[in-house]
Amino acid sequence: MKTKHNNPLLVAEDSDEDFEVLQLLMQQMHVRNPIYRCTNGDKVLDFLYKKGDYENLTTAPRPCVILLDLNLPGTDGRDVLEQLKQDQELKEIPIVVFTTSSDPKDVEFCYQKGANGYLIKPVDSSELEKTVQAFVEYWLEVNVTPSANLAN
Amino acid sequence: MSKFYNHDRQSIYFPGSIQPHGILLALEESKLAIVQASVNTEAYLEIPYQNLLGQQIETLLEAQQLKAIHSCLSKDFSGVNSLKLSIRTQKGDRPFNALLYRLPGVVVLELEPLYLQHQESLFSVSAAVKQAIAQWQQVSTYREFLQSVAEEIHNLTEFDRVVVYQFDAQKAGEVIAEAKREDLPSYLGLHYPASDIPEPVRQLHQRGILRFIPNLKAAAVNLLPEINPVTEQPLDLSLAMLRSVDPCCVEYHQNMGVAAIMVISLVKDRTLWGLIACHHQTPKFVSYEIREACELLGQFVMAELASKVDREEQSYIAKLQSLQSEFLQSISQAEDLKSALVNPAPRLLDLVSAQGAAVCLEDEITLVGATPTFEQLRNLINWADTQLSNSLFYTDSLPKLYPEALAFKDVASGLLLLQISKVRRYYILWFRPEVLQTINWAGDPNTFVTVADGGTLSLSPRKSFEKWQETVRFTSLPWKGCELDQALNLKSAIVGIVIHKADELARINRELERSNQELDSFAYAASHDLKEPLRGIHNYSTLLLKGYESVLDDMGKYRLHTLIRLTRRMESLIDVLLKFSRLGQTQLHLVPTDLNQLVSRVIEDLRVSRQQQVEPIIRIPRSLPTVNCDAVLVTEVFTNLLSNALKYNDKAEQWIEIGYLDAQETESYQSSAPIIFYVRDNGIGIQKRHLEIIFRLFKRLHEQHLYGGGTGAGLTITKKIIEYHGGRIWVESTPSVGSTFYFTLST
Repeated sequence: MKTKHNNPLLVAEDSDEDFEVLQLLMQQMHVRNPIYRCTNGDKVLDFLYKKGDYENLTTAPRPCVILLDLNLPGTDGRDVLEQLKQDQELKEIPIVVFTTSSDPKDVEFCYQKGANGYLIKPVDSSELEKTVQAFVEYWLEVNVTPSANLAN
Repeated sequence: MSKFYNHDRQSIYFPGSIQPHGILLALEESKLAIVQASVNTEAYLEIPYQNLLGQQIETLLEAQQLKAIHSCLSKDFSGVNSLKLSIRTQKGDRPFNALLYRLPGVVVLELEPLYLQHQESLFSVSAAVKQAIAQWQQVSTYREFLQSVAEEIHNLTEFDRVVVYQFDAQKAGEVIAEAKREDLPSYLGLHYPASDIPEPVRQLHQRGILRFIPNLKAAAVNLLPEINPVTEQPLDLSLAMLRSVDPCCVEYHQNMGVAAIMVISLVKDRTLWGLIACHHQTPKFVSYEIREACELLGQFVMAELASKVDREEQSYIAKLQSLQSEFLQSISQAEDLKSALVNPAPRLLDLVSAQGAAVCLEDEITLVGATPTFEQLRNLINWADTQLSNSLFYTDSLPKLYPEALAFKDVASGLLLLQISKVRRYYILWFRPEVLQTINWAGDPNTFVTVADGGTLSLSPRKSFEKWQETVRFTSLPWKGCELDQALNLKSAIVGIVIHKADELARINRELERSNQELDSFAYAASHDLKEPLRGIHNYSTLLLKGYESVLDDMGKYRLHTLIRLTRRMESLIDVLLKFSRLGQTQLHLVPTDLNQLVSRVIEDLRVSRQQQVEPIIRIPRSLPTVNCDAVLVTEVFTNLLSNALKYNDKAEQWIEIGYLDAQETESYQSSAPIIFYVRDNGIGIQKRHLEIIFRLFKRLHEQHLYGGGTGAGLTITKKIIEYHGGRIWVESTPSVGSTFYFTLST
């Protein structure tokens, strides 16, 4: 298991406050994976395609999982999801949607487009803790991904 | 023919002579004394006509025969009485067929000798009649029926040629059936102008009188004295079977090589539907019995024809009606009217038996079949629009009414125009070609024998055809009543369906309006209620910060500050939501507004609220117009657009231009097009894929901390205000060069 702790996690989140809380929770859970953050959809795409600000390989390693907010400024999470899942090479990176939206249409849309998970951001902090815990245990610890193997 | 001969009633009805195959006696009514006689009496009665004048008729007849005549006369008959008379002559009694009828003050007796051999053939005549009738009842279509009629009459009378003519509404005739000697050329399909049969003659045919001329060349026999002593004028021979032949009729038929004719009238509803004409190349006598039989058959033909024509008409109407119901179905199911009408194309044509059609929905014209060009159509519609009555205009001779149609007479000599809507320019037009283009020839009309004796070529079938061509030039087949009915039915079907759809739309609209209103009031109420707990969070955070400052470490204070910042942000989001929902519930207050003043106020306000780094250059190339709008809301529009232009700019030298487009720049040909305003900047621009989503509520293109933040509602509100005014807004942009927002304030 320990080998997985080097696998990078990419978080697409525009809210500073939300990201700070997420970081705090992950610290409490002793997550050692490197966490990268993009604040809008275009930056997520640049990160993965190593363009724009991320031309340097080392600052933009291939993530083992993407935690994706839906309501991002500019190109939003739905567009990012759709685009990545149509890319032959990038579609194998698991994408877990992490959003305040509980709209069934959004849930259906995301799974239709190939999302690997859909987590709703709860308002209650202990609920939030449980959700993040579940994410960490499954996606960062138990789950095996091709990109994780590749990274090794 | 009227050029050469006088065709007035006088010369035709009062010729003063008869054909020589019988005799005519005019009797004074009270005593039945002979006052006029044909000069050939001696040949039949062995008495010179002079000796007959002044004699009472009883001197010629047995008492019994006289009684028969008196009984005819006492019946106050109005028609023609046919009877058999035996007349005493020096060579014994002679049998005659007699016609007896009354004219004012005069009784006319026509006598035609009865030949024994004819009497012997009586049986075979009735057998032939029975056979003909049996034969006719077996055929179903009226064309087949008329062909059979021609053949049976041909068999019965043994004329060289028997043709059936049908007259059209203009009284022009067409040969629609023919039976003839094999070596003769066919007349089938030939057309004759109305003038070929003089009107007085036509009227006689219309009365159903059979006309028989055994020898066109036989010299006429005069009636003497010329003036009837009782009436003091020439005798009216219009009812006379022996009436002598009009000279023009003689010439006309002689030019066709005809020596004997018999004509049977076909009368339907008191109008002359057609004729059965029998021609023989040599003189030919037909017995009275056979003529009577032919007359009878003519009446039977008409009775039968009416039902056969009706049946065909009925089946045609039934076909049209089934097309109509097909139309109804596809119109009610189709999304758009045009495709319902023109798919499949033949159906639209078949509905009124046209060869071309055009469906015009405003400026969109769809053509089917043979039609004029688009340009010709547009002019035609403009003209026809002024001719409409009861949303229909139809003619079978368009070029005569509308000379421009000469150019396209081949496809549209006939026009049926249906107006579907007055408000919107919706029309359906159907076209029929010139008749000349549709004639089917059974042989070349030019091959007909033209006998040129006397140098007169004018009276011949060929000349007639040319004449007929003159009369049908620029003319199509007429539109039938049932076809016009179908066109009108189609209109009411379309209108019905359109009205139904409009009702449906109105209902949906009402529902939408209601749900919109509910949504607005919901958003308004919800926003209000959201503010209450928010105020609590804000106040308690502030209390914490102030009351527990000494207890809190830096991280704690930072988090509380963040909390307060978030409550402010939430408040501004709620405010925007409130504003947005209120917008849906306010009324527009349209007043003429000078946009120069309005814009300069907005700029002033923005300057005050934005004490910052770069002072942008604001360009207004020319004075802005005064427009009718809600000044408060349009201030909001300019505030949003200008503050965006100010915010999203990272250039060292910033500028904003406010103006409006000239008419020619708007790419619109309408003079009443609304003014297009624009706000242009040299800011960061917008990527193409984001041009649409920028108007979405709470949609931002940038992170909170960039470009001064914001709720992402400004353009949504702007768009709503503009649409509320009946205008629209759109944007053109080049990333890192700048954006231009365009908008109109009315449609």
